[in-house]
Amino acid sequence: MAILDKKKSKVSDEVPSASMADIAFLLLIFFLVTTTFPKDKGLAIVLPEQGEDVQVSQRNILHMIIMPNGIVEIKRGESPQVQQVSPNAIEGLWRQEVAENENMIAAVKTHPDAPYRYMVDVLDALHMAGAERISLQLFEG
Amino acid sequence: MPIKQGGFSRKSEASSKVPNSSMADIAFLLLVFFMVTTVFQKDRQRPIVWPEAEATMKIDEKLKNILNIWVDRDGSIFINDRPYEMVEVATIIGPLYVASDRALVISIRADREVTYLTIDLLQQQLVAAGVVRVVFATMLEQRMTRERR
Repeated sequence: MAILDKKKSKVSDEVPSASMADIAFLLLIFFLVTTTFPKDKGLAIVLPEQGEDVQVSQRNILHMIIMPNGIVEIKRGESPQVQQVSPNAIEGLWRQEVAENENMIAAVKTHPDAPYRYMVDVLDALHMAGAERISLQLFEG
Repeated sequence: MPIKQGGFSRKSEASSKVPNSSMADIAFLLLVFFMVTTVFQKDRQRPIVWPEAEATMKIDEKLKNILNIWVDRDGSIFINDRPYEMVEVATIIGPLYVASDRALVISIRADREVTYLTIDLLQQQLVAAGVVRVVFATMLEQRMTRERR
């Protein structure tokens, strides 16, 4: 009979469970060490302090007027000439302007009805072009 | 040879060892308890559509020094899960800014379709509260999506 043929085996047929907790803790510590929490991301700017009013020569100002449809109107100083560009073109334009006049200040004037994202697009382009002197204003006109 | 305990030794049925087979279970129970009860952020995410920017950078500031101001698509403002009126913002932020030893960074988390008027009014409130460092929270934009636009 088959039962009688069965040999007694000395090898245990159980999975050893004594080290299971150790394995679990090893995994735990591994994930603890490798987990990173997402940091806040964004475009940093520095707001002017209250009552801070700096007079700047019109020659050093590049006006960027953001219209509600996303088109940006570029005006240099007091000259009445208006150049219409898309936000994508601002990066190259700014690099050109700074090459000519390194004291240039970007005056970003946004129309009250323009969506926030157009302002972010322009700010993004200026950041990409390495602009540091940026003034954010509301377009009144 | 001296006989231990004067030859009287009692056989005890009770084990003198602390059972340690369930120690791991206890540890895990504690672990799970603390995992469940830990709260990381004090305010909850609001349903906004993030603006995208290629120049998005990580803010180099401790998490506790960052205060989020959420601006919903309809222009309503939320700070720490509570809605506020625009005119209240300066009075709310001012004391927090002083309490943080002027290290507070304001993260403006606005929906991309919010009109700029709202953002400008918010900036005016922040200037009135004396805040200097502000971040427009954005999602990182990839080159690929930019070129397709």
